[in-house]
Amino acid sequence: MSVTAELETFIVDEIALGRGPRSIEPDDDLLARGVIDSLGVTQLVAFLAERYGIEVGDEELVPANFRSLAHMEAFVERRRETARTW
Amino acid sequence: MLSATRSPSLVCGDERIGRDELWERAGRLAGGLAAAGVGPGDHVALLLPNGPGFVVGFLAIAQLRAVALPLSPQYKRAEIAFHLRDCGVRTVLTDPAGAALCSGAGVQVIADADALIAESPPLEPEPRGPDEKVLLAYSSGSTGLPKRVGRTNRQLRWEADSVVAAMGLTPDDTIFCSIPMFHAYGLGCCLLAAIRSGASLVIADPGQPLPLVRERILELIERERVTVLPSVPFAFRALAEAGGGADLSAVRLCFSAGNALPRSTHDAFAAAFGVPIRQLYGLTETGTVTVNLDEDPWATAASVGRPLPGIGVDVLDRMGEPLEPGRIGDIAIRSPGMTRRHGDCFPSGDRGRLDEAGRLFLTGRSKRLIDVSGDKVDPIEVEDALAVHPRVREVVVVGVPSGVDGEELVKAVVVADERCGERELIRFCRERLANYKVPQLVEFRDEIPRSSLGKVLLKYLV
Repeated sequence: MSVTAELETFIVDEIALGRGPRSIEPDDDLLARGVIDSLGVTQLVAFLAERYGIEVGDEELVPANFRSLAHMEAFVERRRETARTW
Repeated sequence: MLSATRSPSLVCGDERIGRDELWERAGRLAGGLAAAGVGPGDHVALLLPNGPGFVVGFLAIAQLRAVALPLSPQYKRAEIAFHLRDCGVRTVLTDPAGAALCSGAGVQVIADADALIAESPPLEPEPRGPDEKVLLAYSSGSTGLPKRVGRTNRQLRWEADSVVAAMGLTPDDTIFCSIPMFHAYGLGCCLLAAIRSGASLVIADPGQPLPLVRERILELIERERVTVLPSVPFAFRALAEAGGGADLSAVRLCFSAGNALPRSTHDAFAAAFGVPIRQLYGLTETGTVTVNLDEDPWATAASVGRPLPGIGVDVLDRMGEPLEPGRIGDIAIRSPGMTRRHGDCFPSGDRGRLDEAGRLFLTGRSKRLIDVSGDKVDPIEVEDALAVHPRVREVVVVGVPSGVDGEELVKAVVVADERCGERELIRFCRERLANYKVPQLVEFRDEIPRSSLGKVLLKYLV
């Protein structure tokens, strides 16, 4: 399963279940639509750590990394790339 | 009432709305709602995040002499359906996301207020009687389902005017609103306080979750020269962790309510910005009750302060007799601003003590509530949601330490008829309850520990 698909499943099943969309397009603005709130950010940070071993730093907690599936996938790929170059 | 003393009166994101414009929009929306059949006394749900839409909607409903039922945008379909049914709501003012959750509820859903505002002539507002109901809200009840609380024009106005007088709010003040206005705290200390004082209101964009925009929020507070900052411990901690650098020197009053303010959060915020956080105490049924307005708030940071003028706070023993200062007991409130459903004296469900100077210190609750970050969860409501799962025989929900001062995790202890998974139960809750109420932990046991009298021994479940 691709990162985007895994993130979509997590958001639909764990964050948005019962009130949100059943599917998400890569460029949907999940912040503006209220799909991801403060609690959702906390859940996503925990998911990224558990699933990909990515510890999100304070300076990475910005809308640009969490706005949409595309933004989140880019963040995950960037962090994986960084990990590989270390 | 509001007057065009200062502009803008409302700031949210890139939008700045002057006082006259705000009233113009509210009048037009009221006209549009009237044309849609909403009239005096009708119950109208307001299912909107913080923002100009909420403010204009609330004012429009008031102008119609209808009754507003503000609901949390975090609610799930079942929670919304319960509130609409319980209140006999016929019209919901919401946005497209909320409209999707109201489908099938048998109510009129208005999801595009801007269209009504654009096409409707303004309604000429009629004066409202002091004892007309203005607001419906919900408070955690003793049965699991939230209980309805109605408040009148006189009660809300009295509360707002008391807050304005006690805090010395004027049109020169700018109140920052990052707490939800559907809740009594945000409604009273932000929206109504701004309306009655003429202060400007700066609303944090609800589409930007706090953990992602801490620096931006600090910049906003600095740029708009915010003078009054009501919030909750969770948010103060997040802002303190974002670090100093922001100039919050214009902030003259910083209030915390919702749950107990850990000393560590108070000190971290003070170290970052040099501003002391003062505690405030209030309830859905009463509005704001006490505020710490001590000249030296550093010395009494643990106190929620003295009652607002006109409000009586007693600490009672088990027989209902007042206790002397220093003794811990049940907190009872007498206020012209509170709902009359409980007579003249409201039993808060909180416990505390008064000092010799009349300052109130909270020490606990007789009601079981769980403090998650920024929200309170009624464990009975979660137990009721889980109890209808076909494989759950018995369930008790408790709060367990989260590792962060003053915050807890929701834990469900379950006796199941046959094996069911933790994920299955969490998902079951997630479909029915707002996310902050959903247990993070599920523990399966063969039985729930009880005393010889059958009382659940909660201490063995934490």
